[in-house]
Amino acid sequence: METSELLRHRIIKNLVAQHPEKAADAAINLWEQMATQIISIVGEGGFNALYARSVFLTQSTFYWLAVSSLSAQADYRFAELKMSFEGQTPVQVGEANSLLLINFTDILASLIGEQLTTSILHSAWGFDASNRAGKEFKNE
Amino acid sequence: MNKNDNNGVSEASVPLSREKLATAHKNAADLHEDSANQAGSRERRIRVVETTQAAPDEHMIMLQQANAHLVIATIEAQKLAEQVQIAKDQLDHLAHHDALTDLPNRILLNDRLAQSIALAHRQGKQFAVMFMDLDRFKHINDSLGHEVGDQLLLSVAQRMVSCVRHSDTISRQGGDEFVLLLHSIEHAEDAALSAQKMLTALALPHSIGQHDLHISVSIGISIYPDDGRDAETLIKSADTAMYYAKENGRNNYRFFEQNMNALAAELQAIEANLRRALERQEFVLYYQPKINLHNSAIVGVEALIRWQHPELGLLLPEQFVFIAEDCGLILPMGRWVLREACLQARIWQQAGLPPITIAVNISALEFRDNKFLENIRATLEDTCLEPRYLQLELTESVLMRDADSANSVLHALADLGVKLAIDDFGTGYSSLIYLRRFPIDTLKIDQSFVNQMISNPEDASIISAVISMGKSLKKQVIAEGVETSEQSAFLQAQHCDEGQGYYFGRPMVAEALAALLQTGVPLLF
Repeated sequence: METSELLRHRIIKNLVAQHPEKAADAAINLWEQMATQIISIVGEGGFNALYARSVFLTQSTFYWLAVSSLSAQADYRFAELKMSFEGQTPVQVGEANSLLLINFTDILASLIGEQLTTSILHSAWGFDASNRAGKEFKNE
Repeated sequence: MNKNDNNGVSEASVPLSREKLATAHKNAADLHEDSANQAGSRERRIRVVETTQAAPDEHMIMLQQANAHLVIATIEAQKLAEQVQIAKDQLDHLAHHDALTDLPNRILLNDRLAQSIALAHRQGKQFAVMFMDLDRFKHINDSLGHEVGDQLLLSVAQRMVSCVRHSDTISRQGGDEFVLLLHSIEHAEDAALSAQKMLTALALPHSIGQHDLHISVSIGISIYPDDGRDAETLIKSADTAMYYAKENGRNNYRFFEQNMNALAAELQAIEANLRRALERQEFVLYYQPKINLHNSAIVGVEALIRWQHPELGLLLPEQFVFIAEDCGLILPMGRWVLREACLQARIWQQAGLPPITIAVNISALEFRDNKFLENIRATLEDTCLEPRYLQLELTESVLMRDADSANSVLHALADLGVKLAIDDFGTGYSSLIYLRRFPIDTLKIDQSFVNQMISNPEDASIISAVISMGKSLKKQVIAEGVETSEQSAFLQAQHCDEGQGYYFGRPMVAEALAALLQTGVPLLF
């Protein structure tokens, strides 16, 4: 379990690091892909609760992450998060988004288990076969 | 296509026999029925398909909703558990730390002491306990108020923490007492170095609000295992040594020595005896005359307490009053002094002696007591002494500590007719605004100025200034501690109203004072 958790964290970090030049856009893209999968399982309410909790936990490290709510419209769900990211450097965005995703998936894993969480993430993000972390993920 | 390929068509064109016709009808009916059955079956299949297609959507929605509720409930539970844990941690912290300074409290200190004792015992090492008590903190607290006092304690605590290693423990025992646990020292001299460092650090002024406050500390040091093998004995030994540091002039440190226990035992015995003394009426009042410097007449007396100790003889207030203040006995003791003084003044008056004012010292604790006013009124009523013959002497620090509250009490006393004097004037902090506002009748110049006024021009200037100020504010001025004819002459020349001191008369028993009043002979000087 410990190894698997570390692997998930590493996958997140690798994915976040893939597009440093468009860090904010890439970050929102990851969230939208993941949201589609998770909302289909736990609904909007469940997703919002998970998201709010992970934002709260992440704010203790990145105080500037001023996200209070999710937009009701799916197209603008992460508009506030994007605005928050756009005021930061790509490095800060990458670090904050990594932690936000890690916190989110940690909570999810604590609720539904590591295996199911990684399956959902796989469905959401697919992984580049050339990506080492992706390979490990797929061979899990 | 040959004609036999389509039997139905060829047969239909052929006239049918009755049997064939009946069969044909039956077949046709069956065909119709089959056809109808096939259509119904399709509809059912469609309906089933529709139902089975609709069911997953509804189930999905219900599952999503159920999952959402489960997720939300679980996260809420997590948050509640986290809040409970935070509250538990805070309670645990509060239970082991001082609320003002956030330093470890007695409980945590005892825990760490127990650990240090176990470790030192196992390793055959020694460690030091330093008991630190701020010098004259009460004076600052009384004169500038608790808020300033608290800020000063906070500043002192920060200084202390900056003087020690991270592994050492500084704890606040309560009030102005702190204890430092110095882990594994090689020699007792290491503790002395730490104590000296502490004294030096605290010597710098503390900037609190608009005040630059100076405070020193007296430190007692005990060493494990020589001065105690358990926490209680080590702290007690350090506390005893601290008392010696105080006795030795304050702002220094002393190591514990076994013979110091004698003093601690003496202090405890005095406290126990003080309680008994009140019950056994072992206290007596002495009266020191106050003289009108213009006509040498006795215009009043100051009542001064003495303790007629059955074994130690006559004890002066400086030998026991501070202990009475520490243990709260000052309140019943003060009430006794007030009643006794009023009774005595009334006795003198009833004996036909010239009426004089009798002055009683009031401590901060008595003045702050919520029954203070009530007690004054009741005592005057019970003893039938006219209020104008009673003078209460209060120090500047007592009055200025909570000036607004003091103001209302002072006005109530003045309305009653009681006279009010500021004692030890010039040694504390006074606000001239309050000096004007308070209904004070008399300023009593502290004897420290009087002692030096002949030899020290600065003290002489202060005395002249206080007398002038008193005159301007229409207040009586009295100088205490007058011991020589030169001092008396100087005060007379400065138009000081009254004088008190050995030159005019030492404190004496009531009978001696009565005799002096009886003669009516002015004291000559």
